[in-house]
Parts: sequence; structure tokens; C-alpha cells
Amino acid sequence: MNYDDPELLDRLAAEYVFGSLSSRARRRFERLRQRLPAADKAARDWESRLMPLSGSVPSERPPARVWNAIDERTGGGERRASTRPWRWLHPVWGFAFGVLAALGVVRLFPDAMPIDAIVQERGTLPQSYVGLLTDAQNNAVLLASSTRYGRILSVKRLRPFEVPSGRVAVLWALPREGAPFVVGVVPPAEKGTLALADTSEKLFFNVSQLAVSFETGVPAPGATPSPFVLTGHCVKLW
Amino acid sequence: MVDPVELQRLLSRVALGDRKAFRALYDATSPSLFGVAVRILNRRDRAEDVIQDAFVNVWQRASSYSDAVSRPMTWLTAIVRNRALDMLRSESARPAESLHDDENEGIHEPADERPDPLGLLERAVDEVRVRDCLGDIQGPQRQCLALAYYHGLSHSEVAARLAAPIGSVKVWIRRGLDRLKRCLEGSQ
Repeated sequence: MNYDDPELLDRLAAEYVFGSLSSRARRRFERLRQRLPAADKAARDWESRLMPLSGSVPSERPPARVWNAIDERTGGGERRASTRPWRWLHPVWGFAFGVLAALGVVRLFPDAMPIDAIVQERGTLPQSYVGLLTDAQNNAVLLASSTRYGRILSVKRLRPFEVPSGRVAVLWALPREGAPFVVGVVPPAEKGTLALADTSEKLFFNVSQLAVSFETGVPAPGATPSPFVLTGHCVKLW
Repeated sequence: MVDPVELQRLLSRVALGDRKAFRALYDATSPSLFGVAVRILNRRDRAEDVIQDAFVNVWQRASSYSDAVSRPMTWLTAIVRNRALDMLRSESARPAESLHDDENEGIHEPADERPDPLGLLERAVDEVRVRDCLGDIQGPQRQCLALAYYHGLSHSEVAARLAAPIGSVKVWIRRGLDRLKRCLEGSQ
């Protein structure tokens, strides 16, 4: 297909937004949106154009369990727990600090020292996946960790890194075999969490490396990443 | 309709990790977004999953929202519609045409009193700007547009529903969208 033809692009965008494309055609257009700004713009224009149609749909308040699940998946429960005394020594962070120590970088971050207390509290480090991502100068920049069967990835920025305006920092997993896949967007805060699509065990079992690239949005499944700005090994801790 | 300026403010706070703003955004927008998802999926349990995924997505992607590109409600609705359409397409067979939910037995399910898609289109016709544009689209073309937009039916599903050739359905939808676009642009 000739995607340089603005009329064709507009028609595809219209049908994509309208919802009449088949599954395969939808996937194709989503990939097109990722690499062709004109396709993305055409889709956004149609989203705005057709918005009044959604306005006619009667509202319904979702049941409370929906918010509870969202809160859980975005780390709200974890955060509330962390406000209780000693709970800031959450297993995930405890484990993360443990890895820092194991990798010999804890001396760079004196704040991360209370590992003894963590080990004393738990007796052992939990089974977890961890990635320590470094920049081109080999500075440790990002620490990502998740318990083996957890669905929340904790992310800590060990030093500031600037995300260019209009871009987001996307965390990728690089399997030993096969194409990289998107884990999620690196939270903007110094410490944050992101919800995983599945348990760490399922997602990272065959992943040898993690990496971060700057993207204009969350890439569609199968998209090719932009050049990586941070990379690091993904290791099992057990 | 929630004030777009307030929604923009909330989204910018969410991008900074403000959970109170996230909750306020959810309270303000989830009823209309849930309505959209229920209409497409025709099942409340699936629609709940969509809203859940969509807001987790919003929490992660709020920093990528730009008010220069789209209005907050348009951005949020697109996330929900796309997630709902993906879920619909990923199901090998379209679930039963009822809101009965076997997995949630015992949970009261209100009777399906939703307007049919044509009814929704009629309501949309009452909206100020689209009134004239949809007003002169009639017959099967109008039915196609309603089934595709509100129930997320693909060309082939619309064709099966209307017992019409798929080629005709494609032409009806394309022409309907062309007319809608020309008209909406002309009325701006």
C-alpha cells in the first residue's frame, strides 16, 4: 500500500478510530502510527472528530473493585504500606539494596546502607529479578526490581537522567532469543513502580538484559526500539 | 461533561505521580469511559478489565499526554476504545449478546436497558455539532456507522449482522465517514 497517499492514510485512520478494521488491519495501522507521524496525526484528528459520538453513551459508575485493582496495580497499596513504621523497608527495596551491595555499588550510595537491618528483618532476600542499568559512561543510573511472582516492578533512579521534551523513557526487556518487548514507561519520580503485564517469572525468565530508550509514546507490540540510552543485565536472585 | 481545563490540571499532576489527582481523575472520568467500554464489549466484567488496564496505562503514560495534541477526554476515550476494541478482536468468538456474567454469579446485574446502537446515534444527533452532519445519513449507511462505532463490529461482523455483502458494508462505512468528515470540517 502507498502510505504516502494522504487520502488512503486518512481513510485507514478513520476506520481504525471508528472500530471497523479487523484485528490484523488494526495491528498494521498501529505499527504504522508508530513510525509515520502523518498516520498518528490522522488518527488523532479522527479521535477528536468522532468524540461527540461517545458523548451520547450513558455513563455508568464502575464497581469499587475496579479502582481497588487499579490502586493495587499502580503501587498504591505498596505506597500506603510504606508509610507505616519500618514498612519503608519493603521487601522489594530491601532486595534492591541487596543487589546494590552484591554488585559492589552500594558504596556509591551511602543512603542504601541499611541492608543489614533488612536482612535481619527478613532473614533472607526474596527471590527476585533485578536489573541495574548503566549509561554509556558506565554510571549506574536505574535500578529495576520485582519479586519473582510479582506483577509490580519497582524502579529507582540512582542518578537523574533527562528525558527529552515530548518523549518518554521506555523500559525494554531483551530476551536471549527473539525481539525486545516493552516492559513499560519509566516513572518520572525518583522512586516509582510500574505495573507488569504478567508475573516477573513469566516476563523475565528468558530475558538477559534490560534497556531504556526515548520514544514519542508507548511503542506498539513488535515495534523496533529507538537507540538504547541505558542498558544492563537482568539477573535472577535465587 | 467534566471541565477540560480541570482534567488537564489533573493529568499534569498524575504525570508527577500525584495519587490524589489520579483518584480525582478516575472519579471524574470513569463513569463515561466505563459506559463506552460496556457498549463495545457488551459485558461488564470485560469492561471492568478495560477500565483497569486503561487507568494503569494512564498512570504510566500521563507524562506523554499533550494538551496541544488532543483534549483530555478525547485522549482518555481513545485509550479506552482502543483497549476495548483490541479485547473484542482478541476474543476468538464474540461473547453472548447479553450482559450476563457467569464468573460473577450472585452479583446483581441490572437488566440490559441500553439503547441500541442506532438509538445512541440518534442521541448523538442531538449533540450540537454533529446534528446536521449525521442527520442526512440514512438507511443502512447509518446502521453500519452505529454498529461499528458503538459495538465495535468489524466490516465482516456488520455484514453478517445486516445480512449484507461485505463489499457494500465497506462502501457504506467509507462513504458515511467521508460525509461525516466533510460536514464536520465544514461546520467548524
